[in-house]
Amino acid sequence: KFRMPTADNLVPIRLDIETEGQRYKDAFTWNPSDPDSEVVVFAKRTVRDLKLPPQFITQIAQSIQTQLTEFRSYEGQDMYTAEKIVPIKLDLRVNHTLIKDHFLWDLNNYESDPEEFARTFCNDMGIEDPEVGPAVAFAIREQLYEIAIQSVASAREIKISKKGRRGAEHAISSKGGGNALDLMKLFRYNSSVVRKRKEWYVYEPIVDILSNEEVDALEAREDRNTR
Amino acid sequence: MEMPQYDPNTKPEFELYTIPSHSSWFRWDDIHETERTALKEFFDGSSISRTPKIYKEYRDFMINKYREEPSRRLTFTQVRKSLVGDVSLLHKVFRFLDEWGLINFGAVSRGDDSDNRDSSLGDTELKNQVKIEEGAPNGVRVVALPNSLKPISVPNSGADGSGNGKVAVAGETGVKLPPLASYSDVFGDLVKLKGFKCGSCGEQCNSGCYEYSKQGSFVICEKCFKNGNYGEDKSKDDFRFSDLGGNSLTHGATWTEAETLLLLESVMRHGDNWELVAQNVPTKSKLDCISKLIELPFGEFMMGSAHEMNSCPTGSLNSLKEGQSASSENQNDVKMEDQVHDQMNESKQNGDAATEEPPAKRKRIAPLSDGGSTLIKQVGGLDSVLDNLEHYQTFLLMDCSDASFEVAHISTMVGPHVTAAAAEAAVAALCNESSCPREIFDGDEDYLANGLSSPTMVSDPERALQVDASKMEENQSETQDASSEKNDVPLNLRIRTATATALGAAAANAKLLADQEDREIEHLVAIIIETQMKKLHSKINYFDDLELIMEKEYNEMMQLKECLVEERIDVLERALKTGVSKWRS
Repeated sequence: KFRMPTADNLVPIRLDIETEGQRYKDAFTWNPSDPDSEVVVFAKRTVRDLKLPPQFITQIAQSIQTQLTEFRSYEGQDMYTAEKIVPIKLDLRVNHTLIKDHFLWDLNNYESDPEEFARTFCNDMGIEDPEVGPAVAFAIREQLYEIAIQSVASAREIKISKKGRRGAEHAISSKGGGNALDLMKLFRYNSSVVRKRKEWYVYEPIVDILSNEEVDALEAREDRNTR
Repeated sequence: MEMPQYDPNTKPEFELYTIPSHSSWFRWDDIHETERTALKEFFDGSSISRTPKIYKEYRDFMINKYREEPSRRLTFTQVRKSLVGDVSLLHKVFRFLDEWGLINFGAVSRGDDSDNRDSSLGDTELKNQVKIEEGAPNGVRVVALPNSLKPISVPNSGADGSGNGKVAVAGETGVKLPPLASYSDVFGDLVKLKGFKCGSCGEQCNSGCYEYSKQGSFVICEKCFKNGNYGEDKSKDDFRFSDLGGNSLTHGATWTEAETLLLLESVMRHGDNWELVAQNVPTKSKLDCISKLIELPFGEFMMGSAHEMNSCPTGSLNSLKEGQSASSENQNDVKMEDQVHDQMNESKQNGDAATEEPPAKRKRIAPLSDGGSTLIKQVGGLDSVLDNLEHYQTFLLMDCSDASFEVAHISTMVGPHVTAAAAEAAVAALCNESSCPREIFDGDEDYLANGLSSPTMVSDPERALQVDASKMEENQSETQDASSEKNDVPLNLRIRTATATALGAAAANAKLLADQEDREIEHLVAIIIETQMKKLHSKINYFDDLELIMEKEYNEMMQLKECLVEERIDVLERALKTGVSKWRS
């Protein structure tokens, strides 16, 4: 059954609303089992705390609601739950901190906790900005969410194409490829799970602290890209 | 353990790594039961990515990686880049090894609480440097290293600072790095401010200073205090000890009383609006304000209650006091009562009670502070600052909150019925004096009656307090707009309203306490009855046992009797057989 493949079934919500020359961008996790009345309360509080014009309230609430409904539309369906170890890439900027990272995540591990990973990450890398942790956890969740959606789609394909062994095989290989790593290759008898040293840098996290000018430059570039 | 080639001529040298004794089951060549149970995923054959062989590889790699440099703490991020596999699973293995001390056993331990990162960094720094500098006092070191303790709001310098801190920790013991050039010392002036200068000897007071409680600005250091140089006209009791050492470790350095006062005032006025609050308190950032407010014992209640439309800290303070209430101190009973009546008389008699009331109130605060609540001390301290500031508005505000502090305190110290009676008497007296304040009090009286008559409705008194408080606020806002001539009379009324509210609150609180006592009495009586029953039961059991024993003895006696009778018959038979002619019976 479909759900976020993490210990807490939380939905990543991303907001990007522009009205009257003001732009509000945000990203956070939401608990889908909260009552929907909470959405409006949250929108109101956010607008009040950030002193946004009141038009934002309806827009924020709508956006959250849409994403929630989308999440819920997947909920009844089956998800292909075979084991998949997927690479997760982090490439995000939070205030003055730039993070690039690359690691593997087991999609089938329903005990996994992106927040815990983010916490360990921030502790180990000595990051002081308290906004980085949640941003990292959110990025992981977002990618997991996308992969989960894809697996729902692929599960549907399997059902449709169950016309015989060939169809099934084709489906299996198609969902095996792409994102997931080929477990057979990686975890063979004679290969080691310790990476070669020259590959270590690929999977090593990079944390950069930017100066104000660099931040401004990056922001300007991002704005240009999105417009 | 690494073993070099065995050379028959020299003794083989082993490198010793310490692991805790509870991990002595560990073997390089084998996987122990402990590992199997803790990390089941590898051993249940559920996937080809989790096999014992793979587990062993992970484990060996991590331990070897740690042992390359035993003094430095191995972080998870350092190992996970070198291992193929799900990071959550790897983290589990890492944590397992860490908990059992197979890695990071001899490493510099980091503070566990990741929230207090700054302070833990500071601690490890302090620890390292204590080893080298041999015990320089806390205060000096903290002041000398402002870099690593800067608040988050200046991220560049924070990063630099943490870079500083990290390098100092990571093995370069004894090297104090100079501050980086790009570091901007935004809070430098403040840090200088915080270093108090002793009033009598002129030195810097680093670890602790004694503050003169009557006049906030006079400070002497510990040495002077001990030696007795208190300065002219000041006695020992007037000084209050304030410890500087702990304060500097927090963000934004110490808060002076003036700042705390400003903060409280702006929070009451602006509630949740942190921008305005931070503006009003000029030297502190938003974050500092919020964290300071939370640190204050009633801070959270203020935030919550300010959120709910204007109600003063009154209601919330009462609940706070109830939580804190210890045994009532009856020794102050009579004194309190008298003082209350005195204050009332004073306010009645004097036309412009404005100037008289506040000193009277302050006197009340002084004995109250014997109760030992830090809240009251803060108020007392704030009061002394008030004198210096001569701020009319804040003065009035503090009056009202003074009243509420006292109220709460009175109710904990005096017996409940006493305060109820005092409250009624005082309110009646006040009402009798003039009709104008009666309007204000009428509403109060109703609520008073409600509070007293409905014992089970706990929410009523609180609501009454809040309504009273909001009414007071309304009165205040009205009168604040008035011109200076009108200020005398409304001020008088206001103060009376304040006192009436105070007493109302006392009465309500007293009622609550009375109920509590009743319930306690019931409970205790029930316990007594239970114990009596138990006593009776055990006595009955005892007697039952006795009876049993007696019965058994009785049976034995009967048997003995029978035996004896038999023997006697025997003897008689024999005697008859042998033809004894006469026998004695």
